[in-house]
Amino acid sequence: MTPSETAEEQATEATRPKQTSVNLTLRAWLRVLCRESFGLVALLLLIVGILGPISTVFLWAFTERWRYPSLLPTEWGIKYWAQTLSRADIGSALPLSIMLSLVVTGLSALICLPAAYAFARMRFPGRQLLLLSFLVTNAFPRFGLYVSIAIVFFRLDLVGTVPGVILIQLINTLLLMIWIPTSAFQGVDRALEEAALDVGASRLRVFVQITLPMVLPALGAALLLTFVSTFYEAQGALLIGLPNVRTMPVLMYSLINNQVIVQYGAVISLVLWLPSFLLLAFVQRFLRGNAVTAGLGV
Amino acid sequence: MKKNFTRRGQNLSTLLGYLPGYLLVAPPVLLMLLLIFYPAAQSIVRTLFVANEGDGLRSFSLLRYTDFFNNRILLWNLWFTVWVTLLTVAGLFVLCMPLALYLRFSDSRIAAAVQVLSLFPLFVPGIILAFALIRFLGPHGTLDTLLQTIGFTSFRTPYLRPSGIIFALIWEGLPFTILVLTAGLRQVDNALIESARDVGAGDWQIFTRILLPLMQRSVLIAFCLNFIGVFGSYTIPYLLGPAAPQMMGVSMQQTYSEYQDKLGAETQAVITFLCCALIGVLYVRTVTRQRIGERN
Amino acid sequence: MATLDLINLTKQFGEVVAVNSINLNVGDGEFLCILGPSGCGKSTALRMVGGFEDPSAGDVRIDGQSVITLPANRRPTAMVFQKYTLWPHMRIYDNIAFGLRLRRLSTGEIDRAVQGALQLVGLPTYGKRYPGQLSGGEQQRVALARALVLEPKILLLDEPFSNLDALLRVRLREELRAIQRRVHITTIFVTHDQEEALSLADRIAVMHKGQVEQVDKASNIYASPRTLFVADFIGAMNLLPAICQAGLLQLGAHHLAAPPSLSAGSSVTIAIRPEDLALVAQSDSAPSDTWAGSVLQLMDLGHYRRAIVDVPTLGQLKVYLSKSVMLNEGDSVQLTPMRYLVYHAHEAPLEMQQQAGEGVMVYR
Repeated sequence: MTPSETAEEQATEATRPKQTSVNLTLRAWLRVLCRESFGLVALLLLIVGILGPISTVFLWAFTERWRYPSLLPTEWGIKYWAQTLSRADIGSALPLSIMLSLVVTGLSALICLPAAYAFARMRFPGRQLLLLSFLVTNAFPRFGLYVSIAIVFFRLDLVGTVPGVILIQLINTLLLMIWIPTSAFQGVDRALEEAALDVGASRLRVFVQITLPMVLPALGAALLLTFVSTFYEAQGALLIGLPNVRTMPVLMYSLINNQVIVQYGAVISLVLWLPSFLLLAFVQRFLRGNAVTAGLGV
Repeated sequence: MKKNFTRRGQNLSTLLGYLPGYLLVAPPVLLMLLLIFYPAAQSIVRTLFVANEGDGLRSFSLLRYTDFFNNRILLWNLWFTVWVTLLTVAGLFVLCMPLALYLRFSDSRIAAAVQVLSLFPLFVPGIILAFALIRFLGPHGTLDTLLQTIGFTSFRTPYLRPSGIIFALIWEGLPFTILVLTAGLRQVDNALIESARDVGAGDWQIFTRILLPLMQRSVLIAFCLNFIGVFGSYTIPYLLGPAAPQMMGVSMQQTYSEYQDKLGAETQAVITFLCCALIGVLYVRTVTRQRIGERN
Repeated sequence: MATLDLINLTKQFGEVVAVNSINLNVGDGEFLCILGPSGCGKSTALRMVGGFEDPSAGDVRIDGQSVITLPANRRPTAMVFQKYTLWPHMRIYDNIAFGLRLRRLSTGEIDRAVQGALQLVGLPTYGKRYPGQLSGGEQQRVALARALVLEPKILLLDEPFSNLDALLRVRLREELRAIQRRVHITTIFVTHDQEEALSLADRIAVMHKGQVEQVDKASNIYASPRTLFVADFIGAMNLLPAICQAGLLQLGAHHLAAPPSLSAGSSVTIAIRPEDLALVAQSDSAPSDTWAGSVLQLMDLGHYRRAIVDVPTLGQLKVYLSKSVMLNEGDSVQLTPMRYLVYHAHEAPLEMQQQAGEGVMVYR
């Protein structure tokens, strides 16, 4: 990144440019202008293309009546919120979704975090290979894999059961819960741990008081990402869960296809979307680092 | 005698030393083997060995696959999936590469806003996206209304059209692709670009001869993961796409649920594996290869 | 093969003035070092010459012609960067040929030029290798070859050896000097290492906080540093505050002869080189005011010895002694300065010398 270009803009406004600098300022300024006008166009397109659909959902959620071709809802109101939230299927799907996500995240953490520590800090033959094998799961087209799993589950009588849904959602989380914590553990500077050992701390204390605090942000991000992605997981739950286990995303399928009243879908979308907002705030900074892309092999 | 003992003792102790490591990584590895590789292998085996009419014994047969390729509708689905995937991936690169370059070389507030917005779709789950896009792009949706008010009346909604699928999938894939490309760009130090400028290279030459080769890894990863992801997608094509042709994900689900043809669905699954196999191999090779510059 | 002039060159980053209106004239074929601590603006100045920063004000002229409107890729300058200099995805041959290929030269010409450049830096067989296979020193030599192959008018080097180990640095320094002399190219070399500057440069420009404090030959800078900063930065120096009273400079409990032009009451700083502090034997014919002190530390540095002598009211002084001096830590000694510089306000320093007499041992 070149801070000099933007700072240069400010600086050239601060000082009165001399004769020779006038042409120079023009050239540099043109370059920046071209670049930033591209950025501006991109920004506008992104605003329309990305915020457009989202704001549409927001509008619908607070609509009582909206007749085409009016640009905005003809009648505003929150009538549909109470109606939606008191629906029976929501009443059973929402707690179920939350419970499932918690269980899957907890299981995933239990299974993967110790493994991540082992991958990061222990030496054993085949370590590299095993770690990379998790990336291989990316090479399978997702829904095809789900169909294969569904057929195996069918024979094991796991279709339509909660354990079945837990298992299929667990698979999704493996990659994230292995790679992010592994690179987090690897990123801990050994010198810091050795310094603690040097002043007499036990290995356990070093782990709890030195290592753990340093990886906690990354682990927290991984847990949050896992929770949210499990909460939103629609395809596996659809294939395995139906007809008995209906999570919120699965509910959305029928609401989109079979429901005339748009507001139900809009309200549920917003309710479903809330955890995402939390994730957005917490993880956004973290995403700009390299840990997540490292988990994909970049 | 003593030598043998110590040598064996050493081997044993090193092996025991490895044990904690193996024990800790065993759970996820086993889970992965059981729930990913085993079902996939099962599907391949089951679809290749068909029960004979008479004695019910299994024998190797390509019957399932010939049935697939003889089915015009299914073949059309496959072909449809391939070109939707190619168009989506191409669209993603055309949009994301300039954005990634812009984000790499600009520090302004506009760039910061672009970055935040481009990451936004990451936090919108597929289901909600489908719903939002239907309301936005669909007939009598907000885009349609907006265009009407400025006098543009010939809006053809992409809803229930291939263009709808492509738009939605590009929407979905935007943040991931930008993340991967910007990560790759970030690894190219400024000095490498400046030294190219120093010897006289212009912007396009720097892009093609310095940036692209050094970004190769992330470009390939973005390509492979997007290709495989789009090829195997279900939710968006199901909710936004036409009734026919269907993408493979939708076709598989219908075959499995509505036609109750488990074996047929499995066959389709294996075919998608095969179609993505080369790309998958490319992905694994790219990821396992040493990064450029680490050749020592 | 050109002259370079920096005229009132200034660079501002927001509030911070990194380079404050510097003026430098570099002659044809001259090797100029810009020396200074980190943050003094030397790299920024160099980058402005190369075209990687646009000046806030001022001009850069090559052979009398202003070049600041030219972007980096069209200036007749070539830069060797500090690190990440070679493109890792290209072979050495292609790294060097890259700029030549942009200029659409024929394959034969390119080949000859590349081979010539590799010969010049002593790596004739390295063409097929990749940068990752080369050591740090070899990489910088290839970077030098890549810069020189385009026959630029000005060669710019931005601390190219600072990432290498000491021995390698010395060797590459000598090679660079030899190559520069052979090719006779005007060169600007930026460094924070004064030993490097002193051994490489025809002239040195000492920079501090964005300004050039002194431009001169190495020996002159060493002998007559124009400002306190240069005095302290180049070589070791003892700096002592003093007040001018009645023709004498009062430092602590001691006094020295004051320069005649100095007015009474002025506070000054006295700078004495360690080798200019002489040991006085205990005898009656000693000069009027010797400084008594005890040896705190003695370091044997091969061909000379370095002592830290604690003189009451003056503090700890660095003294260089010849090998033959028999001294131990804790011994009492008498010192007297044979030569010292007097710095007053922002004027050029005044030099004072004492005559060596009997009983005075001077380090040579």
